[in-house]
Amino acid sequence: MALLEIRNARRDFVTPEGGKFAALDGIDLDIGAHEFVTLLGPSGCGKTTLLRSISGFETLDGGAILLDGTDLAALPPFRRPVNTVFQSYALFSHMTVARNVGYALEVRGEDRASRERAVAEALEKVGLTGMGARKPSQLSGGQRQRVALARAIIGKPRLLLLDEPLSALDRNLRQQMQIELKTLQNTLGIAFIFVTHDQEEALTMSDRIVVMRAGQIEQIGTPRAIYRHPKNRFVAEFIGETNLFALTIDRIEAGQAMARTAEGLELLLPAGAAKVGDKAVAVLRPADFTLSDQGIAATVTKAVYLGSDLHLFVQPAVGGAEIRVTARDSASAPKEGTKVHLAYDPAAPHVLEAA
Amino acid sequence: MMAIRRQTLVLATLLTPVTLFLGVFFLLPLLIIALFSVLTPGLYGGVEWAFYHWNYGRIFGWADDIIEVYEPIYLQILMRSLGFAALTVLLCLILCYPVAFWVSRLPHRWRMFFLFLITLPFFSSLIVRLYAWLLILKPSGILNTVLIGVGAISEPLEILYTPAAVVLGMVYVMVPFMFLPLYSAVDNLDRALIEASMDLGATRLQTFLKVVLPQTLPGILGGAVIVFIPSVGNFIVPDVLGGAKGLMIGNLVEQQFLSARNWPFGSALSMIVMAVVLAVLLGSMAAAKRKGGQNA
Amino acid sequence: MRNPLGWATLTLFSLLFFLFIYAPLLVIIGYSFNSNPVNMMIWEHFTFDWYRGLLGLGSRVADANNRAAYIESTDQMLRALRTSLMVAAITTTISTVIGTATAIALARYRFAAKGFYNGFLMLPMMMPDIVLGIGLLIFFVTIGMNLSMLTIIIGHCTFLTSYVFIIVQARIAGLDPALEEASADLGASEWVTLRKVLLPQLAPGIVGGALLAFVISMDDLVITYFVAGTDNTTLPVFIFGMVRRGVKPEINAIATMMIAASIVIAALGLWLRARKTE
Repeated sequence: MALLEIRNARRDFVTPEGGKFAALDGIDLDIGAHEFVTLLGPSGCGKTTLLRSISGFETLDGGAILLDGTDLAALPPFRRPVNTVFQSYALFSHMTVARNVGYALEVRGEDRASRERAVAEALEKVGLTGMGARKPSQLSGGQRQRVALARAIIGKPRLLLLDEPLSALDRNLRQQMQIELKTLQNTLGIAFIFVTHDQEEALTMSDRIVVMRAGQIEQIGTPRAIYRHPKNRFVAEFIGETNLFALTIDRIEAGQAMARTAEGLELLLPAGAAKVGDKAVAVLRPADFTLSDQGIAATVTKAVYLGSDLHLFVQPAVGGAEIRVTARDSASAPKEGTKVHLAYDPAAPHVLEAA
Repeated sequence: MMAIRRQTLVLATLLTPVTLFLGVFFLLPLLIIALFSVLTPGLYGGVEWAFYHWNYGRIFGWADDIIEVYEPIYLQILMRSLGFAALTVLLCLILCYPVAFWVSRLPHRWRMFFLFLITLPFFSSLIVRLYAWLLILKPSGILNTVLIGVGAISEPLEILYTPAAVVLGMVYVMVPFMFLPLYSAVDNLDRALIEASMDLGATRLQTFLKVVLPQTLPGILGGAVIVFIPSVGNFIVPDVLGGAKGLMIGNLVEQQFLSARNWPFGSALSMIVMAVVLAVLLGSMAAAKRKGGQNA
Repeated sequence: MRNPLGWATLTLFSLLFFLFIYAPLLVIIGYSFNSNPVNMMIWEHFTFDWYRGLLGLGSRVADANNRAAYIESTDQMLRALRTSLMVAAITTTISTVIGTATAIALARYRFAAKGFYNGFLMLPMMMPDIVLGIGLLIFFVTIGMNLSMLTIIIGHCTFLTSYVFIIVQARIAGLDPALEEASADLGASEWVTLRKVLLPQLAPGIVGGALLAFVISMDDLVITYFVAGTDNTTLPVFIFGMVRRGVKPEINAIATMMIAASIVIAALGLWLRARKTE
């Protein structure tokens, strides 16, 4: 049995004008006891609402959330073995770091000695040994984040919820914390549910990603599966850069389909169950293309420098939308106006199941 | 389920004290005033539990020929109270507005200092400050002593125990209440609006009338309400500084309860004061709502 | 918008304004050092006598005839002061507790009557003192309750609760609700969260409200005047009586001391406010 089972969760909100909309529109999800799961989606997709339903700060209008088989609805937040790392950290400014971290044990009535030991241990786990006597106002953003983390894990929850905890940090610190969080999760061996709108973060850290939109789950899968085989247009465009081609299948031979866009751009797709005349949408990532002497003829319209890589926008000779291509930067890298040919691995194109 | 019941329990515990306390010691007394205002005055004070409809009538001058004859004085006093209160508001406004402007233009440290200076007298006793005005305005008081000594006048000015003294006293007492909302409004004024107005060709006066005043209007109205209401029902200031010619409705109420012992009439007068207060409050809320709609 | 002449005029006006505000206070302070016991308006010579008398240190000014009356009125004044302090202390405690509880209830819970309560709590502040005083007087008489220190305390609490409520409400509006959620998330029940997280966070607002309540209670005249009865009197009511009946010179000294006390309290409040913002 999974650690957390969410069955047909529903939550409705009433707008100020009086209309109703579904923040959660029938969510079904299972979380394993040692998984790192990320809820990913644009603002308003319901990921934070779902998180708060698990921690107990939102009540569902329909469906159930079960932890180890027990329905959580009967439990108020302070009785659930679930802890949250808040987006604003929500540190108690009138308490020292040590008291903040030990708070969960303090309210349980644990004696001071064992509390102090646990606090020292937790601080060490997040790399803040010796900071116990400071006040939150004396810490940097990154340090406060770690205090929030330490505070949330000290009570040994079964499940840790993280609500966009890294959004306030600068890029370098964020990348460092991503690695640290992942390591921590492995060390603790508990389940993490991580909410973010940053798809790069999701790809980096997750065992599984849950892509959400408008209160519904669009796709669940490993980072690779989501990236390589997005189910629909939304997921394809939300994760990573993408090129979408609206194609009609011309002919099929030897397990491959030759398809063509309205402008006449030709692509080879895995045939699958397709028939001649079918319409399909194919996804090709910018990194799937390489520059060579044979392939799709195109002209470079824009070259964006990104450090180690060049991000190229190329206009196909036959017409149609610009294609994005990633190439390594070098002295011979193409500049604007250069004519190039795009090649790709025939196994790379992914056909979307739905629009 | 359990969460909701626990929540309700906590909420009830938090709200019960104030509900009970204000319900018993605030609402009930007001209701009793309302009740008494239509009862018969007892012969030796107190009330007789019989309906008597002339209390309100007496205010407007009618009499029932049993207790009194026609006496328009009460109406006069009511009108005088309203007039004094309005005058107080106006004078406070005229005094405070320029100063609020001045303070808001000072460098930050000076601003804090002067704001502190303005609110400081508020912390010292009202009766003490009024007593001081007594000392100043008396025929043998400081003002006259100085003026006579300088030779500006030969006879002492009779300021004390005139309506002027009452208004002066009320203005003095109410100035802090007018100043703070006014200052807040003036401080929040976007300087860029003034610059834009002058940029478009308006003179200073025009800018003041067409831009500054309307923009600070909410502060002005707020201060006006906060000053008007206590001024209408004031009885300390007229009592100390006013004498017979400065009698206000507050003094009337006090007399009826403590000397004349006509409680029903005193209650009726109180009801009138309450009615005025409610009218002003409702009026200001309506004005605020309309302004809010305009700004949206 | 700085033209020098305009600014100079404004500055002059403002300084005259401040002079107007402070003139009475300066007058009193000045006269408190005047030794003339008969007519305080005529300056005799500088003395600390009145202060010494009030502090029980004896005085050279009152002669044998006046001595008895002098001591008695000083005695009454001090008793009135003591009553004022006791009333203020008890009132502050009660109204701070009730006002804070109400502010928390209205800020942290959703319920139908919230709008009503918000308005309801404003009423005692908006009602003129005299209506409140009269109402309480006839209420107490009607239910047969004797006028005593208790009735004074009740009268003060009636409107001071609203003052505390407003101040705490303003403070609570600026707090991050996530802190209380975090507390619950970590296992603290409602009362524990209240004790360990909410109240400490509210502390500056609560102290500010209490300070204000204390000051207003000390200074209250109208309501106390009606509900105090004959056996008890507070300092403002006592001074009011003196002003009406005939003023004794030492009134200047006690008034000056009250002014000094108010400066201390105001400065305290300011210092607390400065500390609050950290």
